[in-house]
Amino acid sequence: MKEFNIIIEICGSAGEGTISAGEILSRFMSGQGFEIMSFDSYPAEIRGFGKCVAHTRISTNRIYSPGKLADVLIALNDKHSISQLSALKENGLLIYDSQPPRPHKEDKSVVGWAKPGMISYGIPLNMLAHKAAGNARGMNMVALGAVAALLHVDQHGFTDSIKVRYGKKKQIVIDSNVNSFLEGYNWTEKNIKKIDPHSFKGMTPSKQKEKLIINGNQLVAQAALVANLSFYAGYPITPATKIMEILSRELPKHGGVLLQTEDEISAIGAVIGAGFGGKRAMTATSGPGFALMTEFTGLSVMAEVPAVIIDSQRAGPSTGMPTKTEQSDFNSAVSGGTGDCPRIVLAPTDTKSCYEATILALYLAEKYQTLVVVLLDFFLSNSIRNINIPEKPSSKYLDANIAPDKNDLKDYQRYKITKNGVSPRAIPGTPGGMFFSTGLEHDVYGRPNYSEAGHLEMTQKRFAKFNTVLSEAPAPEISAIDRDEFDIGIISWGSSAGAAHETVMSAQKEGINASSFSSMMVSPFPEKALIEFADKCKKILIPELNFSGQFASFATQILKRPVERLNFITGRPMASEDILQKMRDM
Amino acid sequence: METIRSAYLDEKLEIVKNIDFLKYRSADLPTWCPGCGYFGIVDAFYKACRELDLKHENMVTVSGIGCSGRTPIFINSYGFHTLHGRSIPVASGLKLAREDLTVFAVAGDGDALGIGGGHLPHVARKNINITFLLFDNSIYGLTKGQSSSTTPYEMKTNSHPAGNPDTPLNPIKLALSYGASFVARGYAGDPQGLKQIIKEATLHQGFSFIQILTPCVTFDKENKTWKNLKEKVYDLNLRKEEKNMETAMRMAENEPYGVGIFFQDRQRPHYQEILRNLNKTD
Ligand SMILES: Cc1ncc(C[n+]2csc(CCOP(=O)(O)OP(=O)(O)O)c2C)c(N)n1
Ligand code: SF4
Ligand SMILES: [Mg+2]
Repeated sequence: MKEFNIIIEICGSAGEGTISAGEILSRFMSGQGFEIMSFDSYPAEIRGFGKCVAHTRISTNRIYSPGKLADVLIALNDKHSISQLSALKENGLLIYDSQPPRPHKEDKSVVGWAKPGMISYGIPLNMLAHKAAGNARGMNMVALGAVAALLHVDQHGFTDSIKVRYGKKKQIVIDSNVNSFLEGYNWTEKNIKKIDPHSFKGMTPSKQKEKLIINGNQLVAQAALVANLSFYAGYPITPATKIMEILSRELPKHGGVLLQTEDEISAIGAVIGAGFGGKRAMTATSGPGFALMTEFTGLSVMAEVPAVIIDSQRAGPSTGMPTKTEQSDFNSAVSGGTGDCPRIVLAPTDTKSCYEATILALYLAEKYQTLVVVLLDFFLSNSIRNINIPEKPSSKYLDANIAPDKNDLKDYQRYKITKNGVSPRAIPGTPGGMFFSTGLEHDVYGRPNYSEAGHLEMTQKRFAKFNTVLSEAPAPEISAIDRDEFDIGIISWGSSAGAAHETVMSAQKEGINASSFSSMMVSPFPEKALIEFADKCKKILIPELNFSGQFASFATQILKRPVERLNFITGRPMASEDILQKMRDM
Repeated sequence: METIRSAYLDEKLEIVKNIDFLKYRSADLPTWCPGCGYFGIVDAFYKACRELDLKHENMVTVSGIGCSGRTPIFINSYGFHTLHGRSIPVASGLKLAREDLTVFAVAGDGDALGIGGGHLPHVARKNINITFLLFDNSIYGLTKGQSSSTTPYEMKTNSHPAGNPDTPLNPIKLALSYGASFVARGYAGDPQGLKQIIKEATLHQGFSFIQILTPCVTFDKENKTWKNLKEKVYDLNLRKEEKNMETAMRMAENEPYGVGIFFQDRQRPHYQEILRNLNKTD
């Protein structure tokens, strides 16, 4: 079958149905058997007329990244779309409203700004919406109808998707939307002479298993539920709030408790309290909340109480840019806080691995009695993919506490020195297992102890866990392993990994011999695997979404050789086009 | 070290066996200054536990940081010495995850009303079923004598040698207005009375708040001294029907040295009950 890959953007004002049109498009395409990835951007304000963009990539092949430039831009709003034209390919297709309610003044129509190589089709979106339903509300559906006609998409399947989307609404709402779609479809079929090359004709990807259309936040919540989460405490913050909202509905059904706290300090405190009680507990936050949690993260490590924090990164320090994506909490997650404080940090690389990382986090926190931070970002939290329904974790991941046996309880040492640093942990309620935990340095019983030898021994114990934890790390993802020498090796982490892997393939086409490496576990880091990989590469490139190259500095310490850095703080996800451009210059 | 510990333990256990309530005391001897009011508090605490016949393994004492923070070390049960000001969040999470446990939270006045002051309103209005003991000596003990949120106006302290410029908080008034369903004041010099209050508070289903007047013999020579407290503290002797919000508020304002239970609402469901009711699927 032919390969097919298209990026469609719908641009409008908040309230014009931009995002729902994008959602219907991706649901329909997923149902047709395509891979989809969509990522919306919208104003931080709740209401108002800010710019919304629904960005959807549709492909017959695996999608690694949302892609930077669109093939098609549907302009529901001229003013916002003018600024969105820069994200349309030079030979892209523009669909615009040819009969706006009031004629545009010169320079105010998006079509006036289209570049010479672009193709534009004027469709009377507003007029047709009025014709179909008596008002402009259905413009988004008219536009979808036009796209369906232009790209030769099955109109009946599409109208079914619309019916499903509005299924819970009144019949009149469903009808208006379907009618608007059909108006757009029919008008376009009759009046537009197609000159662009995009078409879904003959594209019938093999029907796959039922797919889940889902984002990272939803998967984190799902994973937590299947991994026996019994307590969640949190404080609302973009982009992590949705995790709490989903769990507030679902957790009580699973017999768990959700606590909305007065601040993030209290949230992580309550999580540690529940962890002390032997229950699986977590919280989710973003930069400002993560900063508040710092003192407690030290307690989790010091008192060896399991705790899981999901940090969905936003852009910038302080309040920063809540709705923009960035990878700038690396340093803070891996080494933030005071003292020598080893903790586990997982950075899922795509939507699906948000699920795996959450299960792993709850398991590792419990088994190794420590803090696990999972680094998402705005993009991973909110971008939508269609994935296979994820598998339930095996029983190994569901119950991992190492409890003291009879022998241990004879003279119970909560912080007994062991080879792998893990001491049998009694849960309150265990007779004979009583102990005292503290954030002070302590002896094997937990009693405060500031002796030189004691502090060294306990610090070593806390670090000793790292060796075994590494053996539980998912294998690093390496593309093109079959060759043993590369011109350029790309080392990436978190949500940038997808674009990096994608770049390897496009680089190949240009004759650049490249490979890429990423590891979900970033603390402790699989250093040996990294060095082995780098040894095969003449040059190393580290692309990431922060200004200072936080991960690049970290990796340089391991590799002990110079690396090329590529840093963006645009607030947008990593684009393989940009990585490729950099590789051409290297 | 092991041998020292067990020899010490054996000797200790011999004594403890004969004094019933002392089995709630751990093998570690308190490190507080001789004469510190906290000895009286833990004494009352051990006795309350004994009379309630609490199972050691089913109780957890959670503390913050301060001289008061050391308390769990001296209790023969599960204990967690957390962060300055944070015993309430940790105790709340523990109780909500493990309803079967009896959870005590301990805090100093700096702990509870200064650095951790933001947690008190919420644990009270949520009515989380824990017992909270405020060791109120009106001074930062552990850091050696700085002003706290309950230090009297103009009192000279190590952080305010010219006199404390801040107006003190009134813990009972705060607890009442935050909506605590059990509000009481006890006195470290009256272990019998305090024991009774701790017992009632532990039996109370909901958030119980106990302010305990206690001297810091080392860093407070003029305010909550044993001498002053002995003179001033008296029993409120409230009758049941008097335990309403209006009387309680008036007493909180006018009777800074009266001890007893100011207020108790037995009808109000505690947090887990509220959650269960709200999440009931019909
Ligand atoms: C975040 C933080 N800031 C400061 C301290 C230092 N510190 C320890 S105890 C304390 C005050 C203790 O006073 P109080 O809470 O009244 O307890 P007391 O010692 O009187 O029992 C302070 C400021 C700390 N441990 N943590
Ligand atoms: S410093 Fe004060 S509060 Fe602390 S132990 Fe000594 S007397 Fe008690
Ligand atoms: Mg104090």
